[in-house]
Amino acid sequence: MRFIRTTPGIAPVGTRSRLGLAMLAGLALIAGACGGKDPAATEPAPVDSAAPSTEVAAPVTEAPTFTNPPENTDAVPVAGGTLTIGIEAESPGWNPTADPWSNAGHNVARAIYDPLATFDATGKVVPYLAESITANDDASVWTIVLRDGITFHDGEPLNAAAVQANFDAVKASPQYSGQLALLASMSVIDDLTLELTMSEPWSTFPNTLVGKTGSQVGYIASPKMLASPDGSRNPVGTGPFKFVEWVPDDSLTLERNDDYWQEPAWLDQVVFKPIPDSTARKAAMDAGDIDVYYTGSSSDITEYQALQTEGKFNVTIGAPGEPDAIMFNTLNAPLDDVRIRRAIVMATDMTRIFDYLDATGVKQPTFGPYATGSFWYVESEYPTYDLAGATALVEEYVAETGNAVEFEYAGGQDPFIVGLMELYQSMWAEAGMTANIVSRAQPENIAAVIGGDYQVTMWGGVGGADPDDDYDDFHSGTGLNFSGFNTPEVDAALEQGRALSDPEARKEQYAVLQKALGEQVPYLWAGTNQYGVIAKPDVLGFGTFDLPDGSAGQPITGGFFFLKDVWRQQ
Amino acid sequence: MTSLVTRLARLLAVVLAVTFASYSMVSLLPGDVVVAVLGETSTEADRQAAREELNLDDPLPVRYVQWLGDALSGDLGQSYRTGQPVSEAIGQRLGVTLELVLLSQIFALLLAIPMAVFGALKPGSFVDKALSGVQLAFLATPGYLVAVVLMAVFAVKLGWFDTTGLVRFTESPFGNIKSLLLPSLALGLEQVAVYARVLRTDLVTTFDQDFIWYARAKGNSTSRIVLHHALRPSSIGLVTITGISIGRLIGGTVLVESIFALPGLGRYTIDAINNRDFIAVQGAVVVLTVGFVLVNFLVDVLHGAIDPRIRVRTGL
Repeated sequence: MRFIRTTPGIAPVGTRSRLGLAMLAGLALIAGACGGKDPAATEPAPVDSAAPSTEVAAPVTEAPTFTNPPENTDAVPVAGGTLTIGIEAESPGWNPTADPWSNAGHNVARAIYDPLATFDATGKVVPYLAESITANDDASVWTIVLRDGITFHDGEPLNAAAVQANFDAVKASPQYSGQLALLASMSVIDDLTLELTMSEPWSTFPNTLVGKTGSQVGYIASPKMLASPDGSRNPVGTGPFKFVEWVPDDSLTLERNDDYWQEPAWLDQVVFKPIPDSTARKAAMDAGDIDVYYTGSSSDITEYQALQTEGKFNVTIGAPGEPDAIMFNTLNAPLDDVRIRRAIVMATDMTRIFDYLDATGVKQPTFGPYATGSFWYVESEYPTYDLAGATALVEEYVAETGNAVEFEYAGGQDPFIVGLMELYQSMWAEAGMTANIVSRAQPENIAAVIGGDYQVTMWGGVGGADPDDDYDDFHSGTGLNFSGFNTPEVDAALEQGRALSDPEARKEQYAVLQKALGEQVPYLWAGTNQYGVIAKPDVLGFGTFDLPDGSAGQPITGGFFFLKDVWRQQ
Repeated sequence: MTSLVTRLARLLAVVLAVTFASYSMVSLLPGDVVVAVLGETSTEADRQAAREELNLDDPLPVRYVQWLGDALSGDLGQSYRTGQPVSEAIGQRLGVTLELVLLSQIFALLLAIPMAVFGALKPGSFVDKALSGVQLAFLATPGYLVAVVLMAVFAVKLGWFDTTGLVRFTESPFGNIKSLLLPSLALGLEQVAVYARVLRTDLVTTFDQDFIWYARAKGNSTSRIVLHHALRPSSIGLVTITGISIGRLIGGTVLVESIFALPGLGRYTIDAINNRDFIAVQGAVVVLTVGFVLVNFLVDVLHGAIDPRIRVRTGL
C-alpha cells in the first residue's frame, strides 16, 4: 500500500511488537502488510466536527474530521439501496472467537455483530451492546450488565449466559485465550448480569471489548453459532445486518436486520468484495465498480478530497491514529541537552513536511503522543516552530560547550523516506545543526535502537491509543524505553494510571506524563496518521455513528467503520 | 505401447517425487508449524494436542504415506485455518483458474501465430523486426504492470470491463468471458513473445525444406502453403513450450488473481502459504503438480499426432 510511503519507514509495529503482544495483531495479516501498525488501536477522536472537509486551504491546525460535503448535511436519510464495499483482505471465517481478522474482517464483523463497548466521540470507551461495564475499587472484579430484549439473528436471546459462552470459547481457544488471560472466573448473577473476576487488577479491561486488531473478544456471537461446526461460515450476531451468503475471495452479502435493537439500518443490502491489491481497489473505486473503499494513504485521500469539490466523491476522515515520531537518544551528546532537542523541534516546520507528504489537510499536527482532539490530550510546553528561537538555542549551546551541533539521523532506505529525511535535515541546518543521514534496513535500525547505538531516529508505535499502551515506552524501568527518558514522577503516574479504572482519574495521571514530555522533548511528534473512507457522492452517513443514548460515537477508528447510519440518496 | 507404459510410470514417479518434496518442505521450514497455527501465546499443552491431532509426532515418511492414502481417496484434509475441507475449497476454485489459463493460452496463441507467420515469411525484413520488437516489449513488461495498465485503460478510462471480480458462468456466460478477458490477457501477453519466437524459428527452417519448395513449384498460394504444409510440422516446438509454460502460468495466476480479485486456486495457494496453512498448501500443490504433469504428458502424445514421424520413432 502506498500508506507505507508516507510513514517514516521505521518500526511500524512499534515497541508493543517486541513485547509479543503484537503477535496477536500479527495474525491479522493486513496490519503488517500496510506498513502501519495496528490501525485499530484505541485512537482518540478530535471533537471538532464543524470544519467542513472541503476547506483544506487552512490546513495545519484544522484538519477535517467526520465530515461529509456541506451541501449534503441537511439531507434526510432514507431507507433502501445496496452498498458494495471494497475491502483489502478475505477472512478465514467469521467466528469472533476462532478466526483472526484483519482491518477488513473487523469492518465486516461490525456489520454482523455489535461490540460490548465502543468509543464515544472523544475516544473514551463507553458501553455499547452492554448497558454498563463497571469495576470494583481495584478493578479486579468487573460487572457487565446487558440491555434487555436484544435477540440474535437466529432468535436466541442475548443474555449473561450467551456472553459467558463467548468468553468461554475465547478461553478455550489455543490461539486467543491470551486475550482474556487475566480472566479467572465468571458467574451469571442474573439473566442480564455477568460478573468477571480477574486474577489481578485490570483497569483497562473495557478497552479489550471494543473490537480492534488482535482483540475480538467484544463481538458477541450467538451461542448456537459457536456450537455449530460450520458456524464460522454462517455468522449470527446481534448487529444491524444479517448474513446472507459468502463466496470466499469473491463476495460476502448481508441484508438489513429489521429486528435490530436500535433503529434498523438504512441500507437494504451490503456486499463486501475483497480486492487485495491496493492499486486495483482504487481502480475499482475510480471505475465505479465499488461504492466505497478506505485508505490510509494521505496522498490518495488528498486526491479524492480535490475530486470531492467537483461532487465526484464523498471523503470522510476518521479519528487520527498513532502519530509519526522522531525519537531522540537523550543519553547521547549533544541530544542529552534539552536545548538541542527543543531546537530540533523548533526548527521543524510541519507545514513543509505535510506538503512533502501530500498530506496537507489530512494529517493533523501533534504536540504529544495523543492528538489534540483526543480525550487524553493535555496541553504542554512542547515547542512550536520558531526558527530564530532554535538558532539562539544552538548558538548558546555552541558558545557554552565549544562543540558544533552534529548528530546521526537514522531512517529507512525507501527513496521517498530518504527525501523526507533530507527535508528535515535541511530545516535543521537552517538553525545551525548538522544531521548526517543514515539509511538502514528496518531490522538493522531496530537492532541499533535496542542497542542504544543511535542519536536521532524515525520511530513509530508510540501514542495514539490508550496511554497505558505506551507504558513501556515512557517508564524508566522497562528496558524498552529507548529514548532514555527517565522521570520518577512520570513512572509513578504511569503506575497509577494502570491501577485506576475511572477515565477522568486516569487522565490526571497522564497529564503528568504529557507535561513532562513537553518539557523534556524526548520525541518530535510529526503528525497523526489518518484513514479516509471514500464513497460515491450519493453515499452519506459514514461520519455519523449514534450511540444508543443518542449521543455521538466515534464513527471511524483507524480503518474501522460502522454501517448502521450509512445511507444512499435515492 | 511399451513407451506409453514407460511414460505413465514416469508420470507417476514425478507426481510422487513432487508431492513428497513439497510435503517435506513444510517440515523443513524454520519455526514450529504448530506455533504458526496456534500463535505465540498458545500454551505447550495446546501445542502438543495440536501436534497429535495433526500427527506431527510421527516420522515424516509415515505421515506422507498416510496423507497419500487419504489423497488418493479424494480426502486432502481440512484446513486448520478455515475449517473447510481442502478438496471442497479446491473444487470451488479450480474452474476459475483453469478457465483463466485456457483463455490466456488462446489469446497468446491467437496473437503469436500470425506474428510468427508474418515474421517468418520474410526473415530480417522490416515487418519481422517490428514484430519482434513488439514481442520483446511484451516479454520485458512485468505481468503486474500489464495488468494494471490494462485495468486503467479498458476498465477505468474506457469503462468497457469491470475492474475486478468474477461473473459466474452460470449467471451469464458472456459476462463470465468478459470478466476474465483482461486477466487472461494480462496472463497471456508475456507468453506471446516466447511462442512467436519459437514458432517463427521453426517456420523459417520448414520454409527452407524440399517439400515446401515443391509445393511452391506446384503453384500453391502462400496462405495455402502456410496453413496446409508449413504450420503443422513447425508447431512441435510451440506445443512443447506451451506445455512447459503451464508451470509459469500457474505462478502468474497467483498475481493476476490477486490483482483482479478472482476467487481462483492461485490466490488460495498464496493465502495458504502466507498463513502456514500447510494442509491447504499441500492439497493445492498436489492438484497443481498433477495438472502440470498431465498437460506435459498430453503434449508428448500430441507430438505424435502432429508429426507421424515421431509416432513411428517412439511407438506412441
